[in-house]
Amino acid sequence: MIFEVFRQEQRKDYHVHVGNVHAPDREMARMYAQVMHARRKPAHSLWVVPKEEIAEVDSDDEGVSMGGLTQKEYRWATNYNTDETFAEEIEASQREQEEAERGREEAEAND
Amino acid sequence: MASARLGAPGDLSEREREAVEALLYQLADDEFVVADRYTDWQCQGPTLEADIAIANIAQDELGHARLWYDLLQDFGYEETELIWEREAEEFRHATLCEQSFESGDWADAVVRSYFYDVAEFLQVEALAETSYPRIADRIEKVNGEEHYHREHAQNWLERLCEDAEGTRRVQAAVDDLYPYALTLFEPTAKEDDIVELGIRPTPLAQLREEWYDLTGAFLDGLGVSVPDREALDDLVAEETGRDGSHTDDWQRQYNELTYTYRMLDRTEARRLMADPDEV
Repeated sequence: MIFEVFRQEQRKDYHVHVGNVHAPDREMARMYAQVMHARRKPAHSLWVVPKEEIAEVDSDDEGVSMGGLTQKEYRWATNYNTDETFAEEIEASQREQEEAERGREEAEAND
Repeated sequence: MASARLGAPGDLSEREREAVEALLYQLADDEFVVADRYTDWQCQGPTLEADIAIANIAQDELGHARLWYDLLQDFGYEETELIWEREAEEFRHATLCEQSFESGDWADAVVRSYFYDVAEFLQVEALAETSYPRIADRIEKVNGEEHYHREHAQNWLERLCEDAEGTRRVQAAVDDLYPYALTLFEPTAKEDDIVELGIRPTPLAQLREEWYDLTGAFLDGLGVSVPDREALDDLVAEETGRDGSHTDDWQRQYNELTYTYRMLDRTEARRLMADPDEV
């Protein structure tokens, strides 16, 4: 039987898949998982899971779409290039807004 | 009844020092030789996982051997004298450690490590009370790894004994290895001093009783029989290792172990790791 092994390095971390072990049963799998993935490496906890118990959704499965079919890259913050020139533009726009604000205040005061 | 604490290595009387040395040779040689035997299984284990597990245990035992050989270096010995240039008959390990494996007989490896690790566990437990501070400092480290070794052997024994064929193999290994396993509890020439000075306050004879009870009860539960208690004294292998007498397997293992050192005309041992006192 194949057991997939997930290791958590520290209490706050997620369990991350690190490989698998062959073992006849749960107890041996736990032991081998420790030997192979925790005895000489930093680890706080291991999840040892029978491979067949893992429910998988594969992108090749019929009717499954993953990653989005229409173009939605504009939603990704990484697509926005925020270099120095950008910063200048933002600053200019900020100044513009401040001026407009002051203008409104003055207009109100004159009323 | 606790004995007085012994001093630093340089402050020991001749009697104290000889007893400490005798115990350390026994401990270090056991670990070193059994670890080397386990490595015979490297790339030969029944599964990749089993292979890695036994290699891991071998690595642990080599680490323990280093801890004990290092304490012998307190008395001025060099690693070359302690291992590579020492005569084969100067080694004091129990002859259980040196027995070669019948090709492919995994039950032998499992039974041997079970016998060895229960004995080591009891020995280490007894050493927790040692009067020699240098040993006391290192016991916890050794103990921390021993639990896994016993668990490994017990897990395997339980599974091998699930059917008749496996049980037969385990029984055969028990019958073959028992006389040699008993040599783990054979005294060195300094046993009385070791106990009286509190270096290991529990006599080996008593450890053997505890070992007999523990291993006997566990194996019995698996349907494997062990010799009667009354028969043990007569059953001990003729070559005990503790007095320098060894089986032919040891000479072969020794030749192989020291082969590279001799072939390359070495006169010193390369230090690959920091001194245990510095980590």
